[in-house]
Amino acid sequence: MIGRGLEGLQAASIERGPLHAMDQTPKPGSLIVEMRNVTKDFPGVRALSGVDFQLRSGGELRGLVGKNGAGKSTLMNVLTGVFPPESGEIRIQGRSFARLTTTISRQLGIACVHQHSQLVPSLSIAENVFCGSLPVTRLGLVDWGSVYSQTAQRLGSMGLDIEVRRKVEGLSVAERQIIEIAKALFAEARIIILDEATAPLPKNEVEMLFGFVRRQRDQGAAFVYISHYLEEIFELCETVTVMKDGRNIGDYVVSDLTQAELIRLISGAEVERFRHETRSRAGDVLLEVRGLDRPGYYEGLSLTLQRAEIVGLTGLEGCGKDSLARALFGMEPRGTGQVTLEGRPYHAGSPREALNRGVAYLPRDRHGHGIIGLRSVRENVTLPILSRLANILGFVSRRREQALVRDLIQKLNIVTPSMMQAVQFLSGGNQQKVVFAKLASVEPKVLFLDEPTQGVDVQAKTEILKIIDQLSREQGVAVVVISEEIRELLDICDRILVMFKGRIIREFPAHDPQTTVESILHAVEGTAAE
Amino acid sequence: MTSRRAVPILLDNLIWLLLLLALIVFSTLTGRFLTVFNITNILVHSAVLGIMVIGQSFTLVTGNFDLSAESNLGLIAVLGAFLMTASGEPFNGSGIVLSPVLTLLIMFAVGLVIGALNGQLITRLKMNNFIVTLSMLIIIRGLAFLVTHGKTVTGIPEGFKALGNGSLGPVPISVIVLLAAFALAFFVTRSTRFGRDLYAVGGNIDAATVSGIDAHKRIRQVYLISGAMAAFAAWIELGRLGVGATRIGENMIFEIQAAAVIGGISLFGGRGTMLGALGGVLLLSSINSGLNLMQVSGFAIDMVRGIVILAAMLIDAQKTRYASVSAQRAIGKRGRA
Repeated sequence: MIGRGLEGLQAASIERGPLHAMDQTPKPGSLIVEMRNVTKDFPGVRALSGVDFQLRSGGELRGLVGKNGAGKSTLMNVLTGVFPPESGEIRIQGRSFARLTTTISRQLGIACVHQHSQLVPSLSIAENVFCGSLPVTRLGLVDWGSVYSQTAQRLGSMGLDIEVRRKVEGLSVAERQIIEIAKALFAEARIIILDEATAPLPKNEVEMLFGFVRRQRDQGAAFVYISHYLEEIFELCETVTVMKDGRNIGDYVVSDLTQAELIRLISGAEVERFRHETRSRAGDVLLEVRGLDRPGYYEGLSLTLQRAEIVGLTGLEGCGKDSLARALFGMEPRGTGQVTLEGRPYHAGSPREALNRGVAYLPRDRHGHGIIGLRSVRENVTLPILSRLANILGFVSRRREQALVRDLIQKLNIVTPSMMQAVQFLSGGNQQKVVFAKLASVEPKVLFLDEPTQGVDVQAKTEILKIIDQLSREQGVAVVVISEEIRELLDICDRILVMFKGRIIREFPAHDPQTTVESILHAVEGTAAE
Repeated sequence: MTSRRAVPILLDNLIWLLLLLALIVFSTLTGRFLTVFNITNILVHSAVLGIMVIGQSFTLVTGNFDLSAESNLGLIAVLGAFLMTASGEPFNGSGIVLSPVLTLLIMFAVGLVIGALNGQLITRLKMNNFIVTLSMLIIIRGLAFLVTHGKTVTGIPEGFKALGNGSLGPVPISVIVLLAAFALAFFVTRSTRFGRDLYAVGGNIDAATVSGIDAHKRIRQVYLISGAMAAFAAWIELGRLGVGATRIGENMIFEIQAAAVIGGISLFGGRGTMLGALGGVLLLSSINSGLNLMQVSGFAIDMVRGIVILAAMLIDAQKTRYASVSAQRAIGKRGRA
């Protein structure tokens, strides 16, 4: 993912703007959106205080960045009519509003594409695209011929060759995302908010999406792109609005900024870049995989993990990197091959068996598989180790449990009012830390982390990398980090394995000067010059 | 600061406030409400409902429910009475005249078998819990009819009836049993690994599985508990009524679920406590008793019950919203400090 940013830096610099904030240098084109002095309160919190925000007509690619809780989503929710503001003015295409409703906002051509799919899984692609406005024949029946042909034609014009009668439930997350963005555009939206839209997308499809977004910009659509992946802001956006503590602290021309400057603006302070130090190891082999084969997923996989080692595993979506982790954790069948843990044969048929042998897993999908949002921080953390905390009668010792959780909250710097707080109300970064606390509580020997920093802000990312390093350093845990963020892998890992079509094709020592983001990216794409 | 802490505590214990309110309202409206006789009566009437609510709450916490519970209660009750009694008028029994102990063993076995069947169908054959237990509700009620062809069974041995109609000094045994059962259920759900697993399964079954919980095993276990609780409730009900009838428990499922939900057990799983469910049982019984004393018609009582359930859902929705807002507030404060 980071590599994408590097390429993006060059792409973005093609269009250089003057070297100061945009407010002083109005571009040609009237304002299509003008939010003035918008204030929004939630009980006890001022989510937005006096925010100004403008978009120009005639095509714009605007980045919107800020830490979790900085007010990005609240501002966009005001624009899409989800929240009424306390005060301020919203002018859209010259019409003034004190507040919008979702209906009015949609009629004004404002659409929002969320990270989580809003499509109906049981309906066909075409039906989803036309949802709510299905064309009818003179008899009042749905004109299916027209639904299918128009959808196919429209998707075709985007370069998407896909059977429009297929049901959405059969699509990958990436395909759903693209259909959803296409749907918003078909609905004649002129202002499109992409809220972390690329988070679930693999690299090659992000590029397809960006190409599409640029073409639409050229047709005059304005995009607001919310993302934690700053590299993508540099790749896609011309201008960027930075928010902090409910205020707009400035609009900037992207090509005037460096990534470090942008990070400083977002956090209000220099965020240290964490770098893991490779330690010398006595060759203490912990986990050994020999010739693991699962047709359709991976083949001939062999790898050795040493105690206290951090290994990166990267590759394109569908290369088998995440299937391997789930198989070794007992969530999926693992196929044939030999696996030994501490010299003894290892075979986990269920997560419970894996945990019992000291193998733990952090799922990619935090909300689906990581946290139990309804329940408290305390209950989430101790879930896998309750039997260890129970006395002879089977009752869990509240005192021991609280001590353990208090310790982990402190160690991992989890920001929560109390350990009784329901996890769903914590920020993304803190939710992820709760999952880490849960994994740490089982005192694992081997840890598989699937996209551990996905959807958390820049500061929380650094903290999470530190936690990974700490687990490996202090408890000797062997960690496998599965990620597409190659720069992050370079920062945290001792070595990086690249998978391509089910095979491990290259291994890079992370601290070798020969190892660069580019060289790894080439391997990821399967184009390494051997 | 005090009010900020007090409000969530108040919301979590809202059921007790509502119960207090009901007691005040009814004791103002009718002088016969707040008497030792009537309070005892309310508690006795709560016993069967309460035991059924315990079984139901176990399934609800995991995000499932057991609609068949009321038929289960009916079948086990009438079968138990049938096995223990003489044949022919006026007893209408089987003529086998089994001993109460053996009968109880059979009753619990039937409850567990039905529970096991529900659990297996839902977890092994991946059938929808609503459809499975709805079908069982109908099938088992049919079976209950087949036992005596609708005839009422009398002549149940006195020893067997003690649980339902006996008393220790001034306190009815069924009331002691009810409170003890809730206390046990409360501690099991709150403080054992088994109980905590149930909340995890109901809160997010995938996350629970990844955390090493065998979610399907837990679901099978709660259906076993639900079946056993139906047998236990049947034992009390036979004692209280003194006769076995095919229609025992009919339409009770609404009241069972209402009591649990009013007490704060979420229909979507993962939320609520057994103590709250007990509050829900007592509130519903108090409302029934109060309205009966005021000689309100049965239809009006049903309406009031419906309104109470709606109110409970409203409060639950507001509670969730308040929790979200207060969390934002607390985190926002911490963030700025």
